[in-house]
Amino acid sequence: MKKILHLTLFLAIVSVLAGGALAFFNEITEPVIAKNNEKQEQESLLEMYPDADPSTFEAIDISDLDSTTINKVYQYNDLYIFNMSVPGYKDGTTFLVSINSSDLTIDKFIAISNGDTSGLGTQVLEDPFKESLEGNLADGELDTISGATVSSQPVVDGIHEAAEKISQLK
Amino acid sequence: MNRIQNFKNGLIKDNPVFSLFLGICSTLAITTSINNAIGMGVSVIIVLTMSNVIISMIRKITPDEIRIPVYIVIIATLVTIIQMLIQAFAPALNESLGVFIPLIVVNCIILGRAESFASKNGVFDSALDGIGMGCGYTLAVLAMSVIREVLSTGGILITNPFNTAQVILDLTLFPEDFTISLFGSPVGAFITFACLAAAVGAYKTHLDSKEKAKEK
Repeated sequence: MKKILHLTLFLAIVSVLAGGALAFFNEITEPVIAKNNEKQEQESLLEMYPDADPSTFEAIDISDLDSTTINKVYQYNDLYIFNMSVPGYKDGTTFLVSINSSDLTIDKFIAISNGDTSGLGTQVLEDPFKESLEGNLADGELDTISGATVSSQPVVDGIHEAAEKISQLK
Repeated sequence: MNRIQNFKNGLIKDNPVFSLFLGICSTLAITTSINNAIGMGVSVIIVLTMSNVIISMIRKITPDEIRIPVYIVIIATLVTIIQMLIQAFAPALNESLGVFIPLIVVNCIILGRAESFASKNGVFDSALDGIGMGCGYTLAVLAMSVIREVLSTGGILITNPFNTAQVILDLTLFPEDFTISLFGSPVGAFITFACLAAAVGAYKTHLDSKEKAKEK
């Protein structure tokens, strides 16, 4: 009995000390990590609009949007910028799309990452797909990539969903 | 003398990767670039040295029955702290090393040295052993990454881990048309690993036969 108590107590004390050390370092690093992430996000937005002042991107609360694919929404002048992650053949696509709130045209599209088959699914990262989207209506008919439908269709669906949600954001 | 010998053994003769065959998984995965190898090597040296020191410090009060869980808690704590620090101050490194930083916890070199050395030796010796073995690991990943990076990209590129835009060294050894992209893939990792392990094995045999000749 005494032995068990001794073992339990020893392991408990070690764990408490370990927890304390972790809490201490978390305290130090957490704000820096949060700042890094924020900076990274702003950089991708600036890639979309290089001349913009970073402070003009306004993050919008999307807690009542009820969407599994929309990660974040920003407002920039009369544009809504959606950060979305959609499924694909393997890991899917993460992209940014900015949609004009008045006439629902797609202003800019930037694919950030795609984890599908190299050369097929990854075509969603390339310029022809980007160019086929920009300037078109976000709620209208959009071209997918033949041969990479499984990767590009969810992107198009995602853009349609974003267009739909804009009415809720206004 | 003995201490220096211990330290030196970790580098080549008892190299944890090529001679003891410990921690190979991360070695194969992260050696695609020299940047990664340096980051991983430094992380392993820090974790290994600190875990050896702490475990050696508490070796007399650690009950034998639960020593492995205690070691794991200590190692996991150290690795998590290192990960948080890397995430905060070298985010680019964190991205390229990815899951292999948290996986240092289960890197057998660290638990292996805790169990076979630090739990039986003094604090100073354990620290030396940790540094020696850590340097051995770093040497191994560096050797592999230099071969792989040069063959697959035709040059060497080292950037500041705290600011990726700052290039420390950019060397082009031969034009891109002659690169062997195979060495950037897992197959290349296995080939490089096998060749280096064979070389270290040959060197060890050579040392042994020399010693035997001396005895005679």
